[in-house]
Amino acid sequence: MMTTLRPFTCDDMYRFNNVNLDPLTETYGLPFYMQYLAHWPEYFQIAESASGEIMGYIMGKAEGIGENWHGHVTALTVSPDFRRLGLAATLMNFLEEVSEKKRAYFVDLFVRVSNQVAIKMYTNLGYIVYRTVLEYYSGDPDEDAYDMRKALSRDVNQKSVIPLAHPVRPEEVD
Amino acid sequence: MSRHVQNPDSSIIERRLRPIYDWLDSGNNKKALQECEKVLKKNLNLQCGKALKALTLLRMGRDQECITILDNLTSEKPTDDATLQVISLCYREMEQNKICKLYETAVKLDPTNEELHTHLFMSYVKIGDFKLQQQSAMALYKQKPKNPYYCWIVMSIILQATRGEGETDESKRKVLLSLAERMMTKLVDDNKMDAEQEVQLYILVLKLLEKYEEVLHLLDGPLGEKLQSANIIHLKLDYYLKLENWGKVNETCKFILNESFDRWAVWKHYIKSVFKLYTSNSNADTANSNLKSLDGLDNTPEKCHEFICGIIESGSDNAFLLRGPYLARFELCFKLQEHRFKCDDLLGDVLQLFVEYFRLFGHKPCCVLDLKIYLNLLSADQKSELGIRLMKEVGIGPTSVPQTADQMQLHIGALQLSRLCGAHRNLSKDHLQAMMTALVLHYQHGYQTYGKELPSTDIGPADNYALMAVHVMYDLSKTENGIQYLVAAIALLSNLIRNSPSNFHAKLLVVKIYHMLGDVIGANNIFYSLDIKHIQLDSLGYIHCGQLATTGMFSICSVHYDTTIKFFSSNYKDSTEHLTFCYKFGSFFKLDEFMDFRERMNNSLHYATVLVDRVMLNLMDCSSVTGLNNLYISISELRINWTKLRDNKDLGIYVTWDPEFAERPVDQTEEIQRLFEQDMKFLKLRVYVLYCIKGTIEVSKSLDGLKTASLEALKRTLKDWKELEEDARNSDLEPIPDHLIAYPPPSRLHGFLTVPYVSCITSFVEFFLALCKQNVEEIETFFEQAHREIKALNEKLDVKSGSSDFREKRKGNEFFVNNLEVICTVCVICLVCLESVKPPSTRKSKKKHQVTESKVQSLVIQLAHEVLSEINKFSEVLFSWTNTITEKELITILDSLNLSVNNDNLHRGFMDSYAVSYKEIQEVLKSKLKMLSSIVE
Repeated sequence: MMTTLRPFTCDDMYRFNNVNLDPLTETYGLPFYMQYLAHWPEYFQIAESASGEIMGYIMGKAEGIGENWHGHVTALTVSPDFRRLGLAATLMNFLEEVSEKKRAYFVDLFVRVSNQVAIKMYTNLGYIVYRTVLEYYSGDPDEDAYDMRKALSRDVNQKSVIPLAHPVRPEEVD
Repeated sequence: MSRHVQNPDSSIIERRLRPIYDWLDSGNNKKALQECEKVLKKNLNLQCGKALKALTLLRMGRDQECITILDNLTSEKPTDDATLQVISLCYREMEQNKICKLYETAVKLDPTNEELHTHLFMSYVKIGDFKLQQQSAMALYKQKPKNPYYCWIVMSIILQATRGEGETDESKRKVLLSLAERMMTKLVDDNKMDAEQEVQLYILVLKLLEKYEEVLHLLDGPLGEKLQSANIIHLKLDYYLKLENWGKVNETCKFILNESFDRWAVWKHYIKSVFKLYTSNSNADTANSNLKSLDGLDNTPEKCHEFICGIIESGSDNAFLLRGPYLARFELCFKLQEHRFKCDDLLGDVLQLFVEYFRLFGHKPCCVLDLKIYLNLLSADQKSELGIRLMKEVGIGPTSVPQTADQMQLHIGALQLSRLCGAHRNLSKDHLQAMMTALVLHYQHGYQTYGKELPSTDIGPADNYALMAVHVMYDLSKTENGIQYLVAAIALLSNLIRNSPSNFHAKLLVVKIYHMLGDVIGANNIFYSLDIKHIQLDSLGYIHCGQLATTGMFSICSVHYDTTIKFFSSNYKDSTEHLTFCYKFGSFFKLDEFMDFRERMNNSLHYATVLVDRVMLNLMDCSSVTGLNNLYISISELRINWTKLRDNKDLGIYVTWDPEFAERPVDQTEEIQRLFEQDMKFLKLRVYVLYCIKGTIEVSKSLDGLKTASLEALKRTLKDWKELEEDARNSDLEPIPDHLIAYPPPSRLHGFLTVPYVSCITSFVEFFLALCKQNVEEIETFFEQAHREIKALNEKLDVKSGSSDFREKRKGNEFFVNNLEVICTVCVICLVCLESVKPPSTRKSKKKHQVTESKVQSLVIQLAHEVLSEINKFSEVLFSWTNTITEKELITILDSLNLSVNNDNLHRGFMDSYAVSYKEIQEVLKSKLKMLSSIVE
């Protein structure tokens, strides 16, 4: 994937429209981005093309206590012009590497159960459906989410990726 | 849990409090206060009621009373959510200085309280007082000697060096930075440096001192190991680059590229280093010692080429074919040309490089983006040959269609590249028309064959045919009778959006074209489907919001202005909060960026323009003396930092394959720079309309003692305004070219200067000034002048009657609305004049005095009558325009085109939109008529 991966900066918010106008990418209020930039700057990376366009970006964080210490993918998005080039995998690898360095046990993410393209991609990257979160996405109607996970090297026995038998409610997710 | 359930009374209370919230939201603080008193009378101890009262008082500027209530309230320790929310709103809205004072007192009373110290520190962060930050962080560290607090001290010192007094004073900067450095080395020496953030701060100091060698040393040592989230090798590369240690750069880049072939920035650094080494090598006398050991370095173009080829070979069995090394050959070629070496010997025929790259990656949409930046490696002849060669590669002739989706993408790519090479320039109209038709047919075929089964969130694979067709239609619209091509473009794009509802490129284009033709309602509907919000209101504000002011569609203006202003004003407050995050989480290296960003957003040219437009709307709405006072307040609240205004448009969002933008994006052209200067001039000129009103009101309100000063100020305003206009007329008034679709619309400055804003309004203000001086002769002179000016308005209006070309009609609207602004301003000044000659009922004056007064008064009234009759004429002109929109014109235009669209809908849309504009303008005229005549008659 030919790209320049670099930390996301505030000014990128003035140029990320070619990615964010895509209906699957949400544009959040500023405090949301600023919080991530200030708290987990290393987890917020952007990919730029040779001609300077923004190709996509990933936003994430590290959280949890004890064996629940893990990396989390908050947002992953790739511009329509740069799809099917393996960019999502590059960005995910980056986040996993950072999480490895932070000695996290696993990486997780939420995805709409209807988003087959994304689920397939994450599965190809080694993620499994750990559990279903009922009505996680509000809308009309509400939609369930899959909580998908991939164990990192610190979780030697792969304890974090034993799927739960029953779905959970959003309140039960920490 | 909702509050409703917790307390059975809460729904009643909520119902009582609702009106207060509503009054506050609509900005009517007086009513809000009355409502608060009413509620508190019934419910003496209602905490939320008290909090709301405090907020209301604060917004009325009665800070002291607000603070008293807040103090009492906080001592009651309220816990319910609503109350706490209102209290925190108070604190947020309160001037930050006051919050500092609050915590200063609190810390004095409770000097060991760590939390209060922290709050005090953060309150200084919010006002950006780095010295006070440093002091309070020191006090805090003394209380609790924790590393983060120590870092707060250091960071506060750094900011003094970079953004405080050190910014302009180099020696101060040095002193402060070395102090920061010493503090950090002490932390290291005491073996106390532990967290990653502390190491980052240390590096930040060293970097500011340009001690790059030391940073590299640190990265290799034990402190480097603490940087767990950094990629050390990439960090080191940055510092080798700063040190211009090309040998190390070369070595490091090769190391990285051997691991990951596709890091584009690293490729560029690598090739740069090759040429740096090569040129310093051949200049033996300037070669320095560290270049002696060149073994293993790539210091010639040949070695560089060898390296690239090696990577290509080793990557050939990769799952994704990697573009990096292939594109690196273009970069190498570029550098060779830059150094005036021949490329052919090493890389063969350059044209062939393009063809090969296209063969390998042409089925990916990004191929065009990759190649476009290198098209200038080709001569003009080679460019036109490339277009032909690529078309041959694709194998689609004038009568065939793509057989696979991949072949279709190849075809689209070839078309885009040949347009980028200039293939669409200098074509005959017939030729362009044929191309347009072919593209539309290709789109329809591609959509039917490859686009139907896709999810609605995907952009259709054939969509780019249609977008290219629209670009060709746009070219055609510049030919004779070109309007029909724009209508066709709207029809085609509407079709495309139906098939591919997530194609935002199509939506952006159609919004643009709707605006060109003046269909504001059409533009507005599509704009909403783009779901533009938050920061996009700034970066993309120009596509819709920025075009509304001259449409006459005031209700739509109002909605978009309010949304925009709300975004900016709430973030103005929030953004200081964001700075505190950096201290809280120790991401010190982000602070500079956060502060720049805050400044960039707060000084957005779009924001300032919308603020002024909003007040102008208030001016149009103003229909009474009370309205006048509100207008005065909103003008007084305008704060524009002229020297810091910035253009934050995201112009790159419009795709373009015009050769002009192959190498440099739209926003880097001189035209955009000129547009910015014109927009700045426009905004300044426009804001003076408001300054004139403000000055006039100030004079009328000022007491005798201050009268002279305010009179002088108003005179100065007039003089400055005239000078500004003079200056603007003598500046570069060339509008931004409109033949390229990627350029934003021209500045409103041009429209402004065609209307006698300055001469007409100043003549009325001068009439008012004469009134104040009670000089009858002068009053008569300026009466004549004002009279002439206002008559001239209408004469010009008559000429610009409605045209059948909607582009002209749109310009007609702009002209009309600008004239309307002049009329409204003049009305407001007349209102002030009338107020000032109103005979005070209590005072009895001498007889002689009365005679002059009545004469003066009759002149004022006469002038008002003149204005009234002009308003009537405006209304008549507009009425005649309304009748020029006929259904016939549009239908014949659409019938001549071969697109299956619903003619009726399209044309009804245009008609409706203009009808609404005209109706809203008529409303404004009517209200002004009513206002003036109620006083005069």
